[in-house]
Order: sequence, then C-alpha cells, then structure tokens
Amino acid sequence: MAPSNPLSNWEKVGDSFYRKIPVYDAVFDEDVELENYIVAGAPHGGAIALYRDENKPFRLRDTQASRSGINIYSCSGKLINRINWDQATIRGLGWSDKEELLVVAEDGTVRRYFGLDGEFTSFSLGNGAEEYGVRACQFWASGLVALLSNNQLVAVSKYDEPRPRQLAPCPEGEVSSWALSPPAHTLSRSVEVLLAVDKTVYLVDSTEAEDKILQDGPFKHISVSPSGRFVALFTGEGKLWVVSNDFQSKLSEYDSKSRVVPSSMNWCGDDAVVLAWEDEIHLVGPNGAASKFYYDARVHVIPEFDGVRLITNDTCEFLHKANEVTEGIFRPGSSAPASVLLDSVEQLEKMSPKANENIQRIRSGLPAAVDACIKAAGHEFDVYWQKRLLKAASFGKSVLDLYNSDEFVEMTEKLRVLTAVRDYQVGLPVSYEQYLRLTPEGLIERLINRHEYLLAIRVSEYLQIPADRIYVHWASQKVRVSTGDDEAVCKLIVQRLEGKPGISFETIAQAAYDEGRSHLATQLLNYEPRAGKQVPLLLSMEEDEVALDKAIESGDDDLVNYVLLHLKSKLPLASFFRMINSRPVASALVETAARGEDIELLKDLFYQDDRPIEGSNVLLSEALRETDLERKTEKLHLATRLLSDSKDPTVVLHQKLVSEASQLLKAQEALDKDLADRAEFVGLSLNDTIYRLFRAGYGKRAHKMQAEFKMPEKTFWWLRLRALVAKRDWGELEEIGKGKKSPIGWEPFYNEVLGAGNTKLASLFVPKCTNLQPAERIEMWVKCGMIVKAGEEAQKAKDLNALEHIRTKASGPAATEIERMINQLRPRK
Amino acid sequence: MAPQGDADHCRDKARRDLLALLEGARGKKNLVISQELAGPVGLFAKFSELQQYGVDRVFLLENANIDSSQRNVVFLVRGEKAHHVRTVAEQIKRLQNNDTEHEFSILLSPRRTLVSNTVLEEAGIIGDVNIAEFPLYFLPLEQDILSLELDDSFGDLYLNKDPGCIFHAAKALMGTQQRHGYFPRIVGKGDNARRLADLLLRMRKELDAEESSGLVNPSARGLLPSADTENLIIIDRDVDFGTPLLTQLTYEGLIDEYVGIKNNQADVDTSVVGQNSVSQSQESSKTPQQAKQGLKRKIQLDASDQLFNQLRDANFAIVGDLLNRVARRLENEYETRHAAKSTNELREFVNKLPTYQLEHQSLRVHTNLAEEIMRLTRSETFRKILEVQQSSAAGIDPTYQHESIEELIARNAPLKNILRLLCLESCMHGGLRSRDLEYFKRQVVQAYGHQHLLTFWALEKMELLQPRSSATAMLLPTSGAQAGTKTNYGYLRKNLRLVIEEVSEKDPNDISYVYSGFAPLSVRLVQCVLQKPYIVSLIKGGTPSAAANNANTASPGWLGFEDVVKSARGTTFSIVQKGDDKAVRARQTISGNNGTKNVYVFFLGGITFTEIAALRFIAAQEAPRRRIIICTTGVISGDRMMDAAIEKGSFAKAE
Repeated sequence: MAPSNPLSNWEKVGDSFYRKIPVYDAVFDEDVELENYIVAGAPHGGAIALYRDENKPFRLRDTQASRSGINIYSCSGKLINRINWDQATIRGLGWSDKEELLVVAEDGTVRRYFGLDGEFTSFSLGNGAEEYGVRACQFWASGLVALLSNNQLVAVSKYDEPRPRQLAPCPEGEVSSWALSPPAHTLSRSVEVLLAVDKTVYLVDSTEAEDKILQDGPFKHISVSPSGRFVALFTGEGKLWVVSNDFQSKLSEYDSKSRVVPSSMNWCGDDAVVLAWEDEIHLVGPNGAASKFYYDARVHVIPEFDGVRLITNDTCEFLHKANEVTEGIFRPGSSAPASVLLDSVEQLEKMSPKANENIQRIRSGLPAAVDACIKAAGHEFDVYWQKRLLKAASFGKSVLDLYNSDEFVEMTEKLRVLTAVRDYQVGLPVSYEQYLRLTPEGLIERLINRHEYLLAIRVSEYLQIPADRIYVHWASQKVRVSTGDDEAVCKLIVQRLEGKPGISFETIAQAAYDEGRSHLATQLLNYEPRAGKQVPLLLSMEEDEVALDKAIESGDDDLVNYVLLHLKSKLPLASFFRMINSRPVASALVETAARGEDIELLKDLFYQDDRPIEGSNVLLSEALRETDLERKTEKLHLATRLLSDSKDPTVVLHQKLVSEASQLLKAQEALDKDLADRAEFVGLSLNDTIYRLFRAGYGKRAHKMQAEFKMPEKTFWWLRLRALVAKRDWGELEEIGKGKKSPIGWEPFYNEVLGAGNTKLASLFVPKCTNLQPAERIEMWVKCGMIVKAGEEAQKAKDLNALEHIRTKASGPAATEIERMINQLRPRK
Repeated sequence: MAPQGDADHCRDKARRDLLALLEGARGKKNLVISQELAGPVGLFAKFSELQQYGVDRVFLLENANIDSSQRNVVFLVRGEKAHHVRTVAEQIKRLQNNDTEHEFSILLSPRRTLVSNTVLEEAGIIGDVNIAEFPLYFLPLEQDILSLELDDSFGDLYLNKDPGCIFHAAKALMGTQQRHGYFPRIVGKGDNARRLADLLLRMRKELDAEESSGLVNPSARGLLPSADTENLIIIDRDVDFGTPLLTQLTYEGLIDEYVGIKNNQADVDTSVVGQNSVSQSQESSKTPQQAKQGLKRKIQLDASDQLFNQLRDANFAIVGDLLNRVARRLENEYETRHAAKSTNELREFVNKLPTYQLEHQSLRVHTNLAEEIMRLTRSETFRKILEVQQSSAAGIDPTYQHESIEELIARNAPLKNILRLLCLESCMHGGLRSRDLEYFKRQVVQAYGHQHLLTFWALEKMELLQPRSSATAMLLPTSGAQAGTKTNYGYLRKNLRLVIEEVSEKDPNDISYVYSGFAPLSVRLVQCVLQKPYIVSLIKGGTPSAAANNANTASPGWLGFEDVVKSARGTTFSIVQKGDDKAVRARQTISGNNGTKNVYVFFLGGITFTEIAALRFIAAQEAPRRRIIICTTGVISGDRMMDAAIEKGSFAKAE
C-alpha cells in the first residue's frame, strides 16, 4: 500500500491546522435521501439515528413504514436496528453518553431505548407538556431539556429516576434558537439554557431567567462550546459571533456573506465553529479565519467534543484540529526533534549514516521526541503512519539508556483495539481522545450493544477487563432467540459460562422470564451465587416460598421484610402464617413489624400458633393503652380468659396476676370514689397504693388492702414505716415501737427515723436491735448523739477500746461520765 | 501500612459523605434528623460545618415540627426503620399541603431499602423526592473503638430476634476488610456470632462473584487475607449476659450507670457540674429546646479531655486519689509563676495559661462528678446491691441474698436494679428456682405495677430471667463438658478464674479490677485467644514460664481451651480465610512479619465500658505487638439491657 501523504487532508485555518479524515466511504445507499432525514449521532463515534423529517415532502412510493420508523445505523452505514414509532410526532431525537437513544414525542412522552435493540422505558415530561406540546429538545450526556410551545422549559437531569422539573418561567416572545449548557460547566451545577428571544438572549436556570441584554438579535443559531467557555451566535445578518460565556466580550466575528441561514451550527473542538448549509461547510477559526468545503449532496454534522463528524451518502469524515504533537511532526519544514526522529527512521531504512547524525543532533530532546512520536501515533487514523511513528519511537528509545516503555506498550495496545473497532464492519470511528473518555469498559459496552461478542471478549481479554457482562449479554440474547427446549438452552449456557467469574445468572434468568420462559428462568436462577439477587425475580415469578428462603439465606433483613410485606398482601392469612411458621426468622420479623402497626395480625398469629400467653400479653398491652377504665378492665378480662384453659403452673400464675391487676383497678376506683375527688389511686402499683393510704392517714384501709391482696408482712411493714416517716407521724411510729416484734427487725426503723432527722425517736429503737453486735449499737447511739448511752453499751460489752474512742467525741458532762466508765473498766494496777 | 487509623478513616468518610450529600441539595435547607442519628452525626460533624453546607436549622423527626421556612428539606433517617420512613412520608405530605413549594430529599442510612421504597410508594410521594444513600456504618467513639451506635440492637437481637443488626455489622466489617484485606482468621463464640461470621464468608463469596462484574470499585478487586491483621474475634453478648448486669466499677462505667453516656456525651445536672462555660452557652441559645431544659449540661467525655482519659478506665476506688494528685500538680505548676524571673520564663508561663485553664476546668467538672458518684456509692442501697451482686458473681448460694432483694423491693429501689439482680442470679446459677421466681414476680408486679408482667415475659424471652431447668447438674462446677444452651458460670468461674479476690485496684494486674474482683467472662474469652500463657498460669498458678510462653503463643484460635469454652453458651468456631497462597506469601515478604498486627474484637449486642477498660488493659500488655480495635453494635449497660425489656406503659390514666 502506498503511503498516503500525511498532509493530504490538512487545512490551514488561521494559525492552526485542521484535518478532515475520511473514515468510511460508501456509507448509505443511494436511495436513502439524507436531505429528508433528521440525523442524530451518539457521542464518541456511536450509532446514528435517522428519522424521516415530516416537514419534507414525501415521495409517493415511500411506504408508510419507512416514514414512521427510526433507523439506527453504525457510522459505516450498517443498519443496526429499526425501531417502529407509532406515537405522536417526534420532537426530539438524541443520545445519552451510554448510547441510549432518547425520543421525545410532541405530547411529552419520552422513550429511552437502551442497548440499541429496541427495549425501552418511557416516562412523561408532565409540567404542561401534554397541553402545550413539545417544540424542541436538546440533550447532554445524561439529561435533556425540552422547550414547550409556551416557551416553558422542562429539564430531566438523569434517566434512571427521571424527575422532570420546570426551569424558571421564560419571557414571552418568539424563540429563534436555543442551546443548553450541561451541568458540568455551569456555576449552579445544574443545567442552564440559553434562549434567544427577540433581540436578546436569556440565561435560564432553575430559579431565574436572566436577560443578557444584547441588541443584535434575533439570533438564528446559538451554541455553547464543548468546554462551556464560549458561546457562538449566528445573527440574522449572516454573521457569526463568538463571545465569552458571560456575554461580556466578543472574541471574534465572521461574515458568512450568506443570506440563507445555515442548517446547523456546531463547535468543532473548542476553537472553531462549523457552519453547515445544504452542501457547504464553513469552518471558522479564531479571529474570523475560515475555510470552506463543498459537497455534492446534503451533509450532516454530528458534533463531538474534539471535533465533528460529517456524514454524507458517500462518506463519513472526521474533522478536527490537528493535535500539537502531530502538527509539530508533520508541519512542512518542521524541525522539531520528533520530526527529525521520524525522518531518521527513513534514513535508517535507507542504511544512511544520516540516521545516526540526526539522532546525535537531537540528542538532548530525544526523550521528548520519543514521547511525541508515541502520542502522535495515537492521534493518527492511518495504520501506515501509526506504524511509522511507533517505529520512530522504538528506534529513539533504543538509543536512550533509560526509558520507561510503559507508555509505548500501552499505546500499542490501545491502537490495536482502536484499529479493530474502527473496522467498517464494526463501524466505531472512535478517536484517541474519545476513547480515553469513553474508557475501555464503555467501548466494550458498545461492542456488546452491537452483538460483537467475540470481538468484545477478545478486547476484554487483551486489556484484562472483566468479561462477565459480555457473557451475560450473550446468554440473555441466546435465551431470547433460541428456540430449543429449556433443558438444552440451560445446559448450553451453563456449560459455556462455567468457571467464569462474576456471571450474573439472575440477569439471564430475568431475560428468560421476560420471554415467558419461566421454567428456564427458575433453572438458571439456581446458578446465581448471590441469594439476595434472586429474590425480586423469584417474587415476580410467584415462587414465593423459594423467594422467602433465599431472602432468609442472604441474611438481609430488608429483603426478608420486603418478601414478607409482599406475601402478606398477597396470600390469605392462614397460608401466610403457615409459610412463616416453620421459619423462625420470618415469624420474628413479622411479629416485630406487627407490634408497631398491626395488632390484630399479631393476635391472629398467636392464636394460630397456639401461644396463649403472648396472645394475652397483646391484650394486656392494649389495656395499658386504653384511657377509659372500663375498657381497660374489659381488655384485662379478655386477657385472663385466653389463659383460663391452661394447667401449666406458670400460665396459671400469669393468669392470676393479670386478674389481680383488674382487681386492683377496681379497688383503686373504689378508693378514689371514697377518699378523693380526683383520681388519685387508679393506676398506682399495689405498694404505692398502700404507701399512699398510710401517708394520707387511712391505716385501716391499708390493712384491708393488704389482706385482700395477700401482701407479705415484711413488705407491708416497710411500706408503713416509709410512709409514716415521710408523713413525719412520729406518734404512730412510737406506738408501733411499743410492739414486741417486727418482721423486718427494728434496725430499719432506727435508720429511717434517723435519716429523717428525729434522733430522739430513733434512739428509742436502739435497745430493740438485740440481734446486733454491741459495737454496732454503740455506733447507733453515737449517731443519735447519745454519748452516755453509747458508753453504757460499751461498758456492758466491756469494750475498753470503744470507750476510749467514744471519749474523743464526748464533751461536757458526758465526757466525765465516760471517763468514769473507763476508770471502772480499766484493770486496777 | 494503613496511612490512617480505622477510626480516623471512618470519621472522615462519614463526614465527607454527609457533606457531599448535603451539597447535593442546592442552597439553604432545613435538616430533619431522627433522634437516634442526631447523636452519631455529632460524632463526626459539627453544627458549624453543616451550616457551611447550607443547613439553616435542624429539626428532630420525632418532634414533627418541621416548617416551611426553607424550600429545601433534607430528611436523614435509618432506612431499615420502616416506621421512621413512614413518619417522613407523613411529614412530607403535610408540608406539601402547605402553599409553599418544597424540594425534598431523603437520606437513608446506611442504605436504601426495598421496604422504604415500598413505604414511600404507598404514600405516593416516591416520585416527588430525591432519595440518596448515606452509607454510615462504623462510628469512631475513640481511636480504638468503632461502634455502629445502634441503640436498639440489644432488644432487636435478643428480644425481637431480628437479625438486622447482624447484617449491618457484617456490612460494616466488610468495609474494614475491603480496606485491609480479609481477616486471616475469624474466631468467635455464640450463635449470633456464628451467623455474623457466616454472613462475612457469604459476602466475601458474593464479592468474589461480583468482583469482576464492574459493580464494585476496582480497589476491592482481588482481595487477599490482610497482612496487617491477625484476626477478628466475635463475641456474642448472650455468651456473657452476666457481666453487664453487674454494676460497673470503673469511673466511666459508673458515670454511665448513674448519668448515662450517649455518643460520648453525658447530660449532667447543672447542680453537680455548674453552669455552662461561655463558649457553650452561645450555642445553646440557638436551640431553644436546650435552653428550656436548662438544668442539664452536656459534658463531652472522650480522649480530647486529657484528665478524663487518665481516669476513665480506673477503678472508682482510686479516682479520688488520682484527682487529688492532679489537683496538686496543677497547683504547683500554677505556683511557678512566682518563680518565673526572666521575661522568657514569664512568657512561657503565659503561653501555657490556656492549657492550665482547660485542665482546671476539666478538673472541676470531674471532681464534682466524682463527688456526686461517691455520694451515691456510699448509700445503703448501693452497698446492698453491690453485696448481692458480688455474692452472686462469686457463686455463693443465692437464696441467702433473697431477703436483701426483697427488702430493696419494699424500699422501692429502682426497678432496673431489682431486675438486674434477679437476672444476674438467673444467669449465674442457671435460672431461679421456680418457687422463688414466682415469688419475686409477684413482689415486683405488686410493687412496680402489673404492667411488668410484660417485662417479665420479655426477660424470659431474652433468656435473661428463667426458671431453673431440671438439669440442675449444670450448676456443678465440675461438669463442663456439655455444650451449653446456657453459659455455665459455675464451671467457668473455676476454670477461667473469673473471681480474683486479691486484685489490686490501684495497680491492677488482672482485668478483674474493673469489677473489683470479678473478671468479665467475655474478655476472659478474648484472653483465651490472645493471652493463652497468662490464662494457663492463672489456672495452674505460678508465673508463665518462658517455655510455656513460646509453646502457646503460636497456637491460633481457641486451641488449648476448646473444652473450657464449650461450657459457655452457643457455638464455638475458628475459621481461616484462605487466599491465593502465592500472593499471600509474596505480600508477607514485602511487608515483613514483625509489624504491629491489628486484632479486631467485635462485641455483637453491645459492650460495657468496663469491658472496654478490660480490653484496653489487655491492649496495653500486648502493645506493640498487637493493636486491639474494639468494634461493637453499641455501648450497653445493665440498665440499657433492662430498658429493652421493661414495659413503659402503665395503668395510670393518661393525662
């Protein structure tokens, strides 16, 4: 193959060079009349969607079908798919960066086709789109803005969970053109729209429409540069203006000298604007420098971020600014080291000593030259020149002592992949820069969409990228198209995918289920390692039990709850209970959930499961929640009844205590009636009731309550003691103290009374504490301040040490008294 | 190897995530947060930071007082709590009925659940709100404590038998594994612990399956067993219910018992610690609810308070001394100002002044707090309770103590204390005699209200308070062989030396100092894995000889203690997570084998401050060979355990 001249398709615009590279030829059949179609191309060399423009006259022989369909082609003109369109008129056709086709109908319906194979989801724009109708749409990588015929703008910023929302209301007037600025480039981080209305331009975001106050409208075209820094405007006088994005400074002006408004205006990279008429293209660079191209037929311009694709019937071309490195090497008369290096390879092949001479000359710049050659190779579309440049790089680095070859190796790998996908049979003319943005994974995704499984797997193996998605897609496709019986298909798929990591059988099963092959789906699901993944599908397949088991197996309580919620609403109660009965986790979760929101379900559950105590507990807690006393006792009564059949001693006790509760309530009600105007006793515990009775001085009634509820003596005594102390009823306490015996001993009396500050009364109890040690009693006397008594105690116990200790605390007459005792006790010397 | 500790990593990540999510709602916004998340959020983000990100006012979900003052409203709730999501839906609907237009966002932590989707769908608002996930898992309480701060985890796990928090824990631990590599070994005790380990294994398998599918970020790919981690030890709380039922006797533990510590903060009466200092009062004026309470003051209790850091893990018996010593030191240092002669010295002193003031302030707070606690510990009730506890723990025939318990009931001691004593007896002795149980049931119900029939039922369901089964043989300290459905404290007390009478509180030589003579079984179990020679020497007597030291340190897992451990409740396991051998070896050669190894100790169902103190005691011994990182579902105490069971309603008429 004769080497093409690398400069053959270069064009100088102003100071820089642009290249128009023919990528494919013979793109469309002659009978596809491009001028009658609306064309939209997916970013990064993606597919092209063609839709018959309804404003153009139809020829008679056109069948109805060809009118009402969207054709999806690859860039090389291969028909990928046909989508039938039976909805309202299409007002917007665009792509997301994941190569999903978005079609917006006049009535506001948006369809999002993914995977190029006709599957879609749809949603409605709402916000008045139905009433007023959509006039036009603009798209960015992950969203769209629709312009309604009432000048209202509706934005959708993500497609996974589309939430159409209105932007700020727009001024009245005729919208002559508009453009959007994607969220990535705006200050507000949400989409903004430039709306050319009358003579000026409005910047519309979600809160306000700001008038940029321009005088030279109406602008026929408006376009924001890929970086968002510049805006191109096309005036009614046929002039192209480039202004900064704040509309403060005009950067360049170009007069197209055309009275006809161009059919499109697009940015070519960030430095140039492409104006397209029917068959004429103007490439306008900075400072109004321009270059013109002429075609034989209608040409369509598809913008990319680093250039534009030009589509005609015959060719698909890529027009972009020559990269600095490339320019440095190929520019006529260039003396850049890289250029010299490329030249020296030629010399080397001629066995000319000049090769070495050249190398020596650029020695100092050699590493940079090698780098440049590698980079330039990447930007080259022609395989011949890619090889030349890489050879030059290879030669250059062989001369260097130290050079990191990673980039070289990577570049060769990338070029190999790029060459493979640029083949016309695949038709993905991805430029190097686009590939970097698309990422290898994105590229493989595109190959999958085109069902190029083999190539996709090769690429993924070559680049060491996981290939599971490719396999899964392949298998799903297999399930969809194969007609063999379920066993055979399942076997085929499982065999083929065996040992491949990360295969999501759930996805494949979903595909099978969507095809109506639920048996196959079940079989495939069994191979899914992630239990949780299987659950939603199993539920939709009505495999309820399996779904529940898998959910439990996954350990994810949310999944279990979800399945249970689903089953509860679907199954009759009895079968629902039967299903959860044998699964403790499930029934525990049902119980917990029911406790909060569905008490009746809980009662049914306990009844069915024959758990009387728990059933009665539910009633008990209901009784607690009731405000009306009668209702309370009623519930308690029900609670006891539930338990009445059982012979189990714990249940019997439980029942007894529950009925005691209602008995207590009744007694308290009576107390309230008799003793107080306001409810004072109802709801207290038994102990508190008795305590309060004593405090209020109703000792007799307290005794009656004690008898009625068989309260132990000790408790009763304690309560009385505490109540009387709190009441400061010293007389009554003294009276009690006259008794012989106390079931709780007398020490508590001493302590409590002393704690209340009555030392005199407390001291009365000291002699009664006969079971204590003398030392303790001494301490007790001391605490009462009765030093002498303490001394006597010590004397009785013949405890000299204690006495001496007491003496330190004594004063006045007490001290002499103690002294006397010590002397008595002290052994005579 | 890890450039950042786990705690810092968690804190940073949580903060970054939250702020990014808040940024997602443009402009000013009101934040509505559920009570249980409000505290945890305070652990990693300051209010001023939230303000920087446009938060105008913060509302509590439970107060239901969100208004229309801002267009943007952001809700932050736990996605697993369906009823919270329902409340959110109600409040959104209420606001939608107002005239003003709103933008709603719901942040679900830690994940968006199917159930919450269903709830929002049923409420008919799922289309009107932005829903995002806020993956909040481990929260760093301290450098060595990662907590999930799930307040309800104890009740969920043992009363409702809801495995949700196990899943939550597994997710959190997976996060750790993705950072450090797989735990080379998972050792554990207890049925729920086993479930957690199984989940971890399962998630790893699923991750392996997902690994190459591009669903996870590339950093998680090809995970290997971690080189800087030794193992993960999971202890199920139900293995050792006994320990938390005892009154904690460390300083921090006692504060928790009497004041309550939540998310490193304690609400202390102002009568105890005095009024807020100036800087804090400014903040409180912003939130009127706080000013109204007025009587409480929030005290931050964490390592940023140096003094508290010294005191927290000490037995309360010596806290007074420590405080005195610090007071004297401060006094002395302050006095140096007179000694300062040259201007240089003077300047040095002035530079130090702020630190002095801070220390002084903290000293005042802690002295007051300690005095208050001292007052409580001197009370007769406290002494009685402690006595009952200690004899229960020591395994003395419990019937001797019944009279004391009875008296406490009659004297209207707090119900929680009574229940704790009863539960403790049940745990330590394999249940109460059914006659006794019935008697106490009656007593408690009569004393505290019949609604506590429900409380007893709950305690029974949690297996905290049970009638003694016929197999009383379990009580005998010698028969340890049967793998228990209950923990046999009798046997373990002897074979793991749980009771150590002669432990010094001042200069502790064993973890039993935290309960003044009783070693938490849970931590002893950890020692069985980490400090085998020590335990052996404890049992056999004498000091660990060098030979035994070498022989035993190498044995991994439960090795050497399988039989003993069997008499604690639940399954015992030790799982080795293997990876690609070659890669492991390669990594070992690269990283070397002598760095500090991390040991993660996970307490499923909660941990007490005393156990934390005990683990820190071990960590200090093991440093620098090992670094112990304590993970838990939440901090627990006996009172909080009882809270899960106690019926809150009463028969009194609702006013």
